[in-house]
Amino acid sequence: MARSQPYTVACAGGLVKSANSIDLLRTPGVARELRNFEVSIEGGYRRINGYTKLGGASATRPTGSATQILGVIPYADGVIACAGTGIYFSQDGITWLQVNRLSAVSGDNYATFTGKALSARTGQGQCSFAVFENSYDYGEIIISDGANRPFSFRMEGTGALNTRTFFSSLITVDSTNSVKYVTVHDHHLIAAGVDNNDSTVYYSVNNDPDNFTGVGAGAITISDKIVGIRGFREDLIIFCENSLHKLININDSGTVAVVPVAENVGCLSGYSIQEIGGDLVFLAPDGLRTVAGTARIGDVELGTVSKAIQPLLNDIARNINDYTITSMVHRDKSQYRLFYSDLVGIKNGIIGTLRPNGFEWSEIRGIEVSAIGTAFNEVGIEEHYHGSTSGYVYVHDSGNSFDGSNILARFGTPDYDYGDLGTLKTLHYLKVSASAEGVVTPDIQVRFDYGSSDTPQPSSLFDLGTIDPPSLFGDAVFGTNIFGGAENPLIRIPLQGSGYSNNFTVISEDTKAPYTINGFYIDFIPSGRR
Amino acid sequence: MATTYLDITNEVLRELNELPLTSANFASAIGLQQFVKDAINKSIFDIANEEPQLPFLSAGLSGATDPFYGNVTVATTAGTRWYLLKAGSSSLADDYGSVDWDDFYLTTINVSGETAPYVSKGLRFINLEDWKRYYRDSENEDDANGQAYGEPVRVIKSPDSRKFGLSPIPDKEYNVHFYAFNKPTKLTAYSDTIVFPEQYSNVITSRARYYVWQFKESPQQAAFALEDHKKAMRHMKSNLMNPTPRVMTDDRRYF
Repeated sequence: MARSQPYTVACAGGLVKSANSIDLLRTPGVARELRNFEVSIEGGYRRINGYTKLGGASATRPTGSATQILGVIPYADGVIACAGTGIYFSQDGITWLQVNRLSAVSGDNYATFTGKALSARTGQGQCSFAVFENSYDYGEIIISDGANRPFSFRMEGTGALNTRTFFSSLITVDSTNSVKYVTVHDHHLIAAGVDNNDSTVYYSVNNDPDNFTGVGAGAITISDKIVGIRGFREDLIIFCENSLHKLININDSGTVAVVPVAENVGCLSGYSIQEIGGDLVFLAPDGLRTVAGTARIGDVELGTVSKAIQPLLNDIARNINDYTITSMVHRDKSQYRLFYSDLVGIKNGIIGTLRPNGFEWSEIRGIEVSAIGTAFNEVGIEEHYHGSTSGYVYVHDSGNSFDGSNILARFGTPDYDYGDLGTLKTLHYLKVSASAEGVVTPDIQVRFDYGSSDTPQPSSLFDLGTIDPPSLFGDAVFGTNIFGGAENPLIRIPLQGSGYSNNFTVISEDTKAPYTINGFYIDFIPSGRR
Repeated sequence: MATTYLDITNEVLRELNELPLTSANFASAIGLQQFVKDAINKSIFDIANEEPQLPFLSAGLSGATDPFYGNVTVATTAGTRWYLLKAGSSSLADDYGSVDWDDFYLTTINVSGETAPYVSKGLRFINLEDWKRYYRDSENEDDANGQAYGEPVRVIKSPDSRKFGLSPIPDKEYNVHFYAFNKPTKLTAYSDTIVFPEQYSNVITSRARYYVWQFKESPQQAAFALEDHKKAMRHMKSNLMNPTPRVMTDDRRYF
């Protein structure tokens, strides 16, 4: 063979949908397809975890039937789920306790509480949660659903569930009007999206979330329809359809005011708002934006952080009324996850991993999320749950399958021209740097010349072989770990075929463990410029 | 099992680390794969052009229809000088690729009505110029004046290379035996078989690589491939065509 040449690519940059094919030649580390992969905070692209039913094989549905989960959030030593006309609590996903009952002010014991009549959450919609920690065992959780008055619930006691005390009530924000959004800001409960008062933001008495009429409480009406609220440092950011505002000096009735932040940028969904990396991220018509605090007090900076995946965001924006939007922050992974689903066929999401150079993106396909919630449990461990139209609550980002189904994962590189698009290259072999978290067997697809039908394309996938998980001295367990598994093995794959450029797609569709693709080493042979 | 067009094309493709073809996509091959297919045919033609009398190109088995030497038999007709080398052929494109002009044989054996003593002799090849200079005029006069024909003793090649002629013009029916070689047929379908014994397929593949490396602008690799081809060709000719050994005796010691 003629003298071969090397080409090394480190996987970094995430999914890029907004660059043309020639632009992508200059950024070989990014991905033109990154489905059910996530950008790893250590670098490389990792196949995502799956999800499993809370309760495993014994899991039950809160309502007992396939009723869409409208809200879910970890609470205390379990999880709260909203579905149908009820609010439910479970420690294990097997037994559910319906908690939308109104307790005595001083609380009820288990028997009394469960004997109380249900306070039906008629017409309950997508839920919003706010937690007042106070000095309670688990904090007080306030649930708003857009159809009823906010529901306050807390639980005291650390023993068995039937030994605990339950407190619950309905919060009156504005007469009997329903509330869509609640949040906590500077010791106040904030409510917005109040029925018949869509442009008014209400705040409770300081440190008294149940009181919207006492000293320190108030309401301010602005000119735009409010679609979301979130506290950000000393300000409350009010997200409207066509503008952004901030409520300042909430604890000073003399100077409390709403100050405009942006008059031409609105928010498409309040359920997209999350705080990550010192920023508030929200879905705007032109993509995901941040409300970043700047060095100058009182000023904010708005910036779009999703330019790389602008076509995806454009699609979401166009169909925003058909989609149920949910979002979460995965703090362990520095990730912002936004899910959009029409609850019929489209079950997609995007993952933004915050890396030193900003967000790097990937796509999720096949996870239907009608509600998602994340919080730290009573021992400080972050937990993530989501619900769907199946009526089950799932442990999010857990396991190796989508509740038993295969995870189809695809990571497609841009086309590589190896420095010269005019020279024919014959591929010799490929070395893939991969890290496995179990025994995995992904495959590699090779496409030449942007998949041109005028160029012969390999008809089958190239086998990456079996990648064993690493066995490290001190960690490996005899009889469990596989001898010889390297931490970051370089797997050599003989290749065939030639073209002026080519791309690789790592594909797996199985219920095997996640793996990370760190990079590629390609050995090719220049073969003329005809 | 005979080597097919698909087999040998894929052999070259694999040597070049290119994608092999399948029976399904063979006909619709594009790009380099089609070039290799073409190179295979070109290589076979090159080999046949360089050595048209390779045994596997033989027009037929020697002596299959007659005990005499040759694999083609043409019956003469009294008074007819010229005969098509390949009966039924309509053009040079369909004719034999090569004829051994040094091995024409004339006989009356197995000719209907002939009895012993038979005529049985080799025909001497003379070129057209000699024939025209020394024999044509007298033979034509004999033919025109008294149809005085004779027993052929010479064989000539027609200027268009399609016929052989006999001199003198035959006076009766004889059988003329000679040795002919077919032209290689251009391969088209994936299942077309190569006439070369499998042992010599590398003569074709090395030649094909020579063309492909030129296509890939690698003169060094092309030179290596050409050297491989020459060596393989030399061995093939040595094995299949070299004359049987003859004894050389140095008798100077008797002086």
